[in-house]
Amino acid sequence: MSTLLEVRDVVRSFGGVRAVDGASLDVEAGSITSLIGPNGAGKSTLFNIVSGFLRAEAGTVSFEGRRIDRLPPHRIARSGLVRTFQTARSLARMTVLDNVVLAAQRQPGERLLRNVVGAGATRRREREVHVRAHDLLELVRLDGHADELAATLSGGQRKLLDFARVLMTEPRLVLLDEPMAGVNPVLRGELLEHVVALRESHGVTVLLVEHDLEVVMGVSDRVVVMSNGAVIASGPPDGVRSDARVVDAYLGVEP
Amino acid sequence: MFLQLLANGLVTGAVYAIAAVGVSLVYGILRIVHFAYGDLMTFGAFVAVTFDTTLGLGMVVATAAAMVAAAALSVGLDFALWRPLRARRANFMSMFLASIGLALVLRQAIFLAWGPQPRSFDVDPFKVYTLGPVRLSGAQAIAIVVAIVAIVLVGLLLSSTTLGRTMRAVADDRALAAVAGIDTGRVVFATWVLSGLLAALAGVLAGLVQSTFDPNFGFTLLLPVFAAVVLGGIGNPYGALAGGFLLGIVTELSTWEGFGGGVDPVYKPVVAFAVLILVLLARPQGLLGRARLV
Amino acid sequence: MSVLTSGEFWAFVGVVAGIYTILTLGLQIEFGYAGLLNFGHVAFMAIGSYTMAILVVKSGWSMWLAAPTAVVASAAAGVVLGLATLRLRADYFAIVTIALSEIVRYVATNEDRLTGGSQGTINLAGAEEASDYNGQWQRFQEWFQGALHLGSKDVAMLVLVWAVALVLTALVALSIRTPWGRVLRAIREDEDAARSLGKNVFAYKLQALALGSALAGVAGLFYAWQFAFFSPADFAPLLTFFAWMVLILGGVGRAWAVPVGALVFGVIFAGTRFFEFAPFTWFDSAERAYLRLMVIGLVLIGLILFRPQGLLGKREELVLE
Repeated sequence: MSTLLEVRDVVRSFGGVRAVDGASLDVEAGSITSLIGPNGAGKSTLFNIVSGFLRAEAGTVSFEGRRIDRLPPHRIARSGLVRTFQTARSLARMTVLDNVVLAAQRQPGERLLRNVVGAGATRRREREVHVRAHDLLELVRLDGHADELAATLSGGQRKLLDFARVLMTEPRLVLLDEPMAGVNPVLRGELLEHVVALRESHGVTVLLVEHDLEVVMGVSDRVVVMSNGAVIASGPPDGVRSDARVVDAYLGVEP
Repeated sequence: MFLQLLANGLVTGAVYAIAAVGVSLVYGILRIVHFAYGDLMTFGAFVAVTFDTTLGLGMVVATAAAMVAAAALSVGLDFALWRPLRARRANFMSMFLASIGLALVLRQAIFLAWGPQPRSFDVDPFKVYTLGPVRLSGAQAIAIVVAIVAIVLVGLLLSSTTLGRTMRAVADDRALAAVAGIDTGRVVFATWVLSGLLAALAGVLAGLVQSTFDPNFGFTLLLPVFAAVVLGGIGNPYGALAGGFLLGIVTELSTWEGFGGGVDPVYKPVVAFAVLILVLLARPQGLLGRARLV
Repeated sequence: MSVLTSGEFWAFVGVVAGIYTILTLGLQIEFGYAGLLNFGHVAFMAIGSYTMAILVVKSGWSMWLAAPTAVVASAAAGVVLGLATLRLRADYFAIVTIALSEIVRYVATNEDRLTGGSQGTINLAGAEEASDYNGQWQRFQEWFQGALHLGSKDVAMLVLVWAVALVLTALVALSIRTPWGRVLRAIREDEDAARSLGKNVFAYKLQALALGSALAGVAGLFYAWQFAFFSPADFAPLLTFFAWMVLILGGVGRAWAVPVGALVFGVIFAGTRFFEFAPFTWFDSAERAYLRLMVIGLVLIGLILFRPQGLLGKREELVLE
């Protein structure tokens, strides 16, 4: 198994407070890795740094062997590392279908002139993309809403839409930022299936931040624990669960 | 010459600073970019000139009358315009456009009521105070003294009174303030009153310093005032003060020959804008503003 | 009242509406599609007008070469604006754009040798030469008028402006339906979401500014051709606000709303000239000008309060904002 993502000694402060203090972690290709830790441990900040939305002050991030820590977020996304946000960022005034269609990569028509010169290729890709988008929407059972505005979806449905969108980008590594947050229990199971399916059916590696420890323990190959900006433990779920430092960090919270 | 320009800059800066605090409070607390503020300043100046020259009641009464009138107008406009907009949960863009419409209406109303001729206050134009190499006209001297007093008072209000602290809390974090049970209605009222008072004062002082003014002059001042507000970090009244003085001084000093011949005085407003753009290029959140997080 | 029925007058109103259509199309791309709060739009119109006038009158270019060059200059200026300001948050961006448009106006007012100064292009050369670009245009216009057997040169100008305006509107409407347009709309909705999906938000915003400014430049060309002489005062912030009014009036986000908004605005603006009834008759003509602008301001406020989606916009879309 190769290491897909390598984070080394990343540091980032806000106004004098070190949110991330020398954090390091590895994500193996084809695995589902969970990042857990108490509030304020620095998980979201680390996520933002890895996906390019924040600059690290020190340390490196490498994806598929190449340094990405100086790249802008859109370049990182294009290279196969795609993230979701804690509150599903649906494009409210666009249709559900357009939300997914937008996520397609390599659409020449996204350059304005390619709609005039070489328009044939643009049209072909549009057709391909639309077919794939419908397939993905069917997968998350939102196909019936395809032509409605994304704003009409419920919170849980928007998370599913996020999933479909992420899959559309054909990623190799997906960063899921608290995918279960704000989702009702009924929908959670469905979402969880999709998370697992990411690895099983689509061969996508997953790194997720999650507070629900039950979810984490059930689904992850590896668990990484952060506290006070640093990684204090990592390994298979059972090992981590009984790690004294982890128990300490959570102050006795039952896993 | 340098010191003279510095003195002039302090005077200009004082006017900018007062107006900037008003604009900053309205933005910070009410989230409105008050595009009609310049015309409110003009309104204040014209009311004052009516009381001063037409009614012959002198500058003190005139200024007081102007401040009361502007405060009343601001509160009235809150009922007529801003409150309905808030009720409709209008967004930033709508507020901005509404304030542009308001600016238009207000300015035309001033033209209609007072006519387009330039006006002047009844101040002795030959009175000059000399402080070493610096000469200040009577108007400039009054402007500086009044401005400093006003700034100190506003500073005290904001830092030491409950109301002031409440206002700053709301400006800093509206949601948190609401959760903390702060009476936003009272704060809104206080904001309009205070910003109206400051607008009129700034208008009168600007009119004094400029010697003559016409109904357009408030808007001309508004852009450097906005620049000062943005420079200091929008929503931060202390930043606005600093921004105002900074811009006033830099603008005047830029014409000094010592700086490679100096900028042509005609381009002074451009200097203010250029400073704004340069600062924002280096520090997109303004001098005292806070950086944005994703 | 005779002016009300004068074809010449309404042709003039129509031309102005056409120019506003082209100008506001630019704003529709920048704000309606990409979500950019450009309040200095008029500066790019000024750059278009002045660049053409200066190239023709001072450098002796053919107008037909100067015109496209002027449009490119406007587009380039838009890119420069973007490079300097796009990293700013929305409200700062809005204020800085106003500041920049005022800088352009100041430069135009004070660089007499270049632009003719505050009196305008009439100062660029002797009166005849100074309108050389207009002369060249007039010849074209006369030819056009003859070719289509139109009644007067005003009608010819009307047809020309609207032909260009409608073609541009169609092009803008088509462009938003492309994958490129889809990315722009996504940026307006949520920039970070767009970035997370691999879109280079900065580049797209720059393109929106370039195109919007180019359109403003085209509007500037027609302004110069219509009015022959112009001065920096013609490009005051008031014009930008009028363009915003046209945008809101028609409806944000729909290309075809722009010509509709422009026509309605033109009629309101011109029509208020003819309020020959009380209370307007209480005022003299100078005062009526103030009153008319006041009406415009009140209409804008009314729109914001009661119909923010404009004539052709959709209410639901606004509520979601």
